[in-house]
Amino acid sequence: MPAPDRPLLTVEHLTMRFGGLVAVHDVSFTAAGRRITAIIGPNGAGKTTVFNCITGFYSPTVGRIVLHGGRGDFLLERMEGYLIAQKARVARTFQNIRLFPRMSVLENLLVAQHNALMRASGMSVLGLLGAAGFRHAEREAVDHARYWLDRTALADVADIDAGTLPYGAQRRLEIARAMCTRPALLCLDEPAAGLNHAESRDLNHLLRFIRDEHEIGVLLIEHDMSVVMEISDHVVVLDYGRKIAEGSPEAVRHSPDVIRAYLGEEEGEALPPEVTADLKGEGGAGAAHERGPAETQ
Amino acid sequence: MAAETADTPQHPPQDGIAAILKDAGIAALISLALALPLFGFRIVGFGSGRGLALEERWDWVVTAVLAVFAGRIALNLWLRRFRAVLAIGGRVGDGVGDKIGQAVAAAPRLGRILQAAKPAFRIAVAGALLAVALAWPAFPFVDRYLLDLGVIVLTYVMLGWGLNIVVGLAGLLDLGYVAFYAVGAYSYALLALHFDLGFWECLPLAGAFAAFFGIVLGFPVLRLRGDYLAIVTLGFGEIIRIILINWYPVTNGPNGISGIPRPSFFGLPFAADPPEGTVAFHQFFGLEYASTQRIAFLYYVILALALVTNLFTLRIRRLPVGRAWEALREDEIACRSLGINPRNTKLTAFAIGAMFAGFGGSFFATRQGFISPESFSFIESAIILAIVVLGGMGSQLGVVLAAVLLIGVTEFFRELEQFRMLAFGAGMVAIMVWRPRGLLAHRDPTIRLHARGEKA
Ligand SMILES: Nc1ncnc2c1ncn2[C@@H]1O[C@H](COP(=O)(O)OP(=O)(O)OP(=O)(O)O)[C@@H](O)[C@H]1O
Ligand SMILES: [Mg+2]
Repeated sequence: MPAPDRPLLTVEHLTMRFGGLVAVHDVSFTAAGRRITAIIGPNGAGKTTVFNCITGFYSPTVGRIVLHGGRGDFLLERMEGYLIAQKARVARTFQNIRLFPRMSVLENLLVAQHNALMRASGMSVLGLLGAAGFRHAEREAVDHARYWLDRTALADVADIDAGTLPYGAQRRLEIARAMCTRPALLCLDEPAAGLNHAESRDLNHLLRFIRDEHEIGVLLIEHDMSVVMEISDHVVVLDYGRKIAEGSPEAVRHSPDVIRAYLGEEEGEALPPEVTADLKGEGGAGAAHERGPAETQ
Repeated sequence: MAAETADTPQHPPQDGIAAILKDAGIAALISLALALPLFGFRIVGFGSGRGLALEERWDWVVTAVLAVFAGRIALNLWLRRFRAVLAIGGRVGDGVGDKIGQAVAAAPRLGRILQAAKPAFRIAVAGALLAVALAWPAFPFVDRYLLDLGVIVLTYVMLGWGLNIVVGLAGLLDLGYVAFYAVGAYSYALLALHFDLGFWECLPLAGAFAAFFGIVLGFPVLRLRGDYLAIVTLGFGEIIRIILINWYPVTNGPNGISGIPRPSFFGLPFAADPPEGTVAFHQFFGLEYASTQRIAFLYYVILALALVTNLFTLRIRRLPVGRAWEALREDEIACRSLGINPRNTKLTAFAIGAMFAGFGGSFFATRQGFISPESFSFIESAIILAIVVLGGMGSQLGVVLAAVLLIGVTEFFRELEQFRMLAFGAGMVAIMVWRPRGLLAHRDPTIRLHARGEKA
């Protein structure tokens, strides 16, 4: 069993420019296996852009992203997006949920196991002939899907279209789908957004379960401080594309830079109580952080 | 009645006389702008040598504008009455209004009923259609003309099923499908004429050629999406047709290729007096010679080809690659995040769709005995696409219904000459109004966790 703090992902000097806009500037951090690493920051800080670079949707302007997998290291910035998922086993969810809405919940989870099933179906030839090996592989895939359906409380709705699920269930399904790819690193982009309090609590349980029982690294973008403070092992704070702080949730919570980033530039001003509460992890679920007025211009 | 009552608040009575007059005034202005240049002036000649003159026809313009104005008012008044009737029908449980309301509401409901119907019902419909298709040549009222019509409809059903893989399942809008149909037809014609191969030997070759073309054309363009892909495939369709016209030494240009061998029944030709040393189909079976025998044989060939296409599609939809096609149609970005290679997956859909078009093309060539580039114009692609879209993207049964409607029923309007296309267009508009997602937009999951009906 690997040491829990061995880095699973190393991001070095990551910079992403869109024309004149520097969305991410010289960001370095590591994420450990079997740990939940949170990336936080105000709106537009560049969190999703970091994810898109890691998962190959953008190719970074500068920087190195290495995934230390069980079968060697992968230089993610050089790989095509689908290969990152297929070979380096990085799975992700999206800030705006991206399911296959007109396919059933179970089908969504089988699509996630596409590559394994494709091999078992002999690139479809054996499958067309109805070979026993393929039928066996498909049963296993359904069992695997069933496992995650049970974990995410979706087994009852397995046969209905994913697009008809309520919002919270769609969020869970997206996580289940990512887990069905048997990832080494799971990247979640604001999984708690739009969830109610109970759902948010269940999500915390689910993420802890994933970390502890499946021993994979989780990279988590989250606005909801109660989630971040409660479950993350390590926090990276971005603001205007730069990393302004990093450390344990405790340390980050008290960092003056972080407080300033969340509140605007006017120093010395008394903190509004709901923000202080939020930073301490007492805020209600779904509390979104807008930039302070001084920063929106 | 819920639909009608829900409708009423959107049309409050405030659109009174003033609004109607305003609306009619705008329509009249638009028609004035159109009528002035179109009706207002006419160039007339004064016979030899006396030149041209501009004739003004103000009376025409005035008539047109007044007609539009009055017509628009009448239309609005009628619509208001009509809505009122629907509303009454919705609220009051009886009376004439209710009956009209129900009748009007029934048309869109019919499709919904078909759609919501239990799979058992859909299977029954499919079975009945299959039985009719199998027995079609044996029906006493089916003459040569109806038999031919059956062959044409089945050809379009097969092409629709083939294109359904590309458009309905993989979501790739292909406007150049007829290109692969042409490749199949010319492959068969050239192979049969130059290498003396029979229909059944050529069939897989023609399919392979078409699939190969599908890969070659698809490789550079499948990174495009939606409208862009549609435009590029449209271009490819035209390129293939123009190559066929201009590559004279091989394709014989616009004159086409004639004398393409007819299919034989396991080596037995269909001929009244076969060449020396061969036995014709009717002689072998001791029948009277009839030209319908050959057509009936063609009918069963295309029926078999269509059924193969259908079975293949039904089967591959349940395989990982079929699910990946549908997933790509739903969300390509999510597919990439799950490790699916979008390019290869699209290419397989494109190539397999092209292969079935190639089969269809060989059949077309052997049925006609003559092919020319004219048979492979854009309108063919458009008709096949219309069948897929009107049938309900991805629905196999929908393709059959749409093909029967579009090809079979409009065929009966043939006597009406150009009005036939009018009926075609009217049918399309009607379907799009009532069933914007196609006749049968229903989709059953390809795999279930809980048996149907079982409460989870
Ligand atoms: N494809 C793109 N083209 C141009 N600009 C982009 C692109 N993607 C992101 N940006 C810009 O980069 C900056 C960072 O965006 P990003 O989506 O990473 O922020 P975020 O931290 O995820 O914010 P949020 O909390 O709102 O999700 C923003 O200013 C955004 O407009
Ligand atoms: Mg974001």
